[in-house]
Amino acid sequence: METRTITIDPITRLEGHGKIEIFLDAKGEVERAYFQVPELRGFETFCIGRPAEDMPQITSRICGVCPTAHHMAGTKALDDLYRVEPPPAGRKIRELVYNTFTLEDHALHVYILGGPDFIVGPDAPKALRNVVGVIQKVGVDVGKKVISMRRRLRDLISYFGGKVIHPVLGLPGGVSKGLNPDDLPGFKQLAEDGVEFARFTLQVFKDIVLKNPEYVKLITSDIYTHQTYYMGLVDDQNRVNFYDGKVRVVDTNGKEYAKFPIQQYLDYVGEHVEPWSYVKFCYLKPLGWKGFVDGPDTSVYAVAPLARLNVADGMATPEAQKAYEDYFTTLGGKPVHHTLANHWARVIEMLYAAERVRELVNDPEITSKEIRTLPTATPKVGIGVVEAPRGTLIHHYETDEKGLIRKANLIVATQGNSARMAMSVEKSAKGLIHAGKVDDGLLNMIEMAFRAYDPCHGCATHSLPGQMPLIVSIRDVSGRVVQEIRR
Amino acid sequence: MTEQPPRILVLGLGNDILGDDAVGLLAARRLREILPTDVKVLESAGSGLDLLDLLEGFEEALILDSILTGQHSPGTILEFSSADFQKAVAPSPHYAGLPELLQMAERLGIPSPKTIRILACEVADPYQIREGLSDTAREALPGLLTRAQEIVDSWLPAHPSSA
Repeated sequence: METRTITIDPITRLEGHGKIEIFLDAKGEVERAYFQVPELRGFETFCIGRPAEDMPQITSRICGVCPTAHHMAGTKALDDLYRVEPPPAGRKIRELVYNTFTLEDHALHVYILGGPDFIVGPDAPKALRNVVGVIQKVGVDVGKKVISMRRRLRDLISYFGGKVIHPVLGLPGGVSKGLNPDDLPGFKQLAEDGVEFARFTLQVFKDIVLKNPEYVKLITSDIYTHQTYYMGLVDDQNRVNFYDGKVRVVDTNGKEYAKFPIQQYLDYVGEHVEPWSYVKFCYLKPLGWKGFVDGPDTSVYAVAPLARLNVADGMATPEAQKAYEDYFTTLGGKPVHHTLANHWARVIEMLYAAERVRELVNDPEITSKEIRTLPTATPKVGIGVVEAPRGTLIHHYETDEKGLIRKANLIVATQGNSARMAMSVEKSAKGLIHAGKVDDGLLNMIEMAFRAYDPCHGCATHSLPGQMPLIVSIRDVSGRVVQEIRR
Repeated sequence: MTEQPPRILVLGLGNDILGDDAVGLLAARRLREILPTDVKVLESAGSGLDLLDLLEGFEEALILDSILTGQHSPGTILEFSSADFQKAVAPSPHYAGLPELLQMAERLGIPSPKTIRILACEVADPYQIREGLSDTAREALPGLLTRAQEIVDSWLPAHPSSA
């Protein structure tokens, strides 16, 4: 009867909620920590028999958080299914929308979701560790700037895709709407402002986070460090690309382990199942599942900003490249294994996304009316990939000769980080719970690890617009609650 | 577009391919047919700042949603005001919640509703991807509609008693 269970259960509803169960041994030390999320069931059943062309819409409806990522991965899977390449303008419009989306989504994370940890500060009073605290710190004018930039970026996405939540832009072989030259000046202005906004954000991050030795110490602290492999898309010069490229994997020393077109993903990506979780934990299949372990013998890999910068040899735009060099110099070279460095990497990616948007709206081809190549091939298998803000996102469809879905599989971004995230939870728990004493900072430390990954569990959509408290239940082996901490 | 922008919003939230999670959306669709045209009825699968975008500029807002508390039998209609969530501000792994957003709106001078009511239908399983409501949720729908109408009626000019 000496084993106890601690449950941390954020009682929000559909939004990305995780549940954490911590088992203590007889001495009150952490034996194992489990990280559980609810599973959305029935995806494949729902899709079977539907026309493949519906998939970019269906998959974007699964998730209200990153619909554009699902929409784009689905659209690219359709290109592959019908063996068709979009014409240059079609591709560039997709890239424009996609980078705009990434800029907007990352900005949201930096200021609103991750902001409480770094802009406000990890040791600030709880009452201020929220978006209101962020505004207090950066000022009302900056708050207004963030909101206004977000709206304008979303307006661009809506221009091409209709609703941001359920975009209708992508078609096999291209896009449904081109860019009217009359509208170009507005977009050019937005792009300039976007770059300025990203620069400003990098400066905010430097001033508030990097000039504070305590924050830097936290970023590089052992509790938030894991030596794993990393995965992300790169272009033909091994630079970060959100929209397209080959998947590159580097090992714990930053050395290239693999580089492959997405059609070969099944040779590299394994999905491990644990009895305590609905989530399938991704690992590198050729290495075999080796458990939730760190170091050179691991087969766990990570995705998202930290991983993308680790797998790339650089950034494709000048200012982002400079920021990239600064990042690795400051953090001691490649690869960076510190989970919290995700926040910094995200800001660098904002700068790249903004610069890329600016390049694209200034590309003379962007207003071409040639935006679609009509598909003619008989469909069979289509696999598409993008870098979602939260990591590598893979869509895999198989159809009959009429293009009706027979099989559908998604590897969602958060899955790529699921093993590493479970390791982070366990490490936080082991570092903060001793002799049965639960440190008050536990919730905070675990949440900080969560937020750095920017997880999106279950690809669920929305939440009742409020938040219930986090509850930590400590139970004995019979299930009796012996302690409960509420926030 | 009318000359006078609508001041009352009915906002249905949910995902129409997650079974009973769609109950708020379906309720909004029905209400659109019943309520006076000067009441704006919207549907959304969004959350966080998306909600603030939708709420902006209205004086009263009624939000219709599903909820999974596990403490009520499925089909139960629960009623909240935004104040009910005030005490429970906790940074979520993903989104800022409504109380925070409203506070933020106030700080930034974004006009948002002074009164927000939330009607939520307890659901059993919003994790199954499928279309259509369960019998339980379908049976709960009329009650949800009636209560929603009462709330909106109390905000309409014919009812000066509304505060």
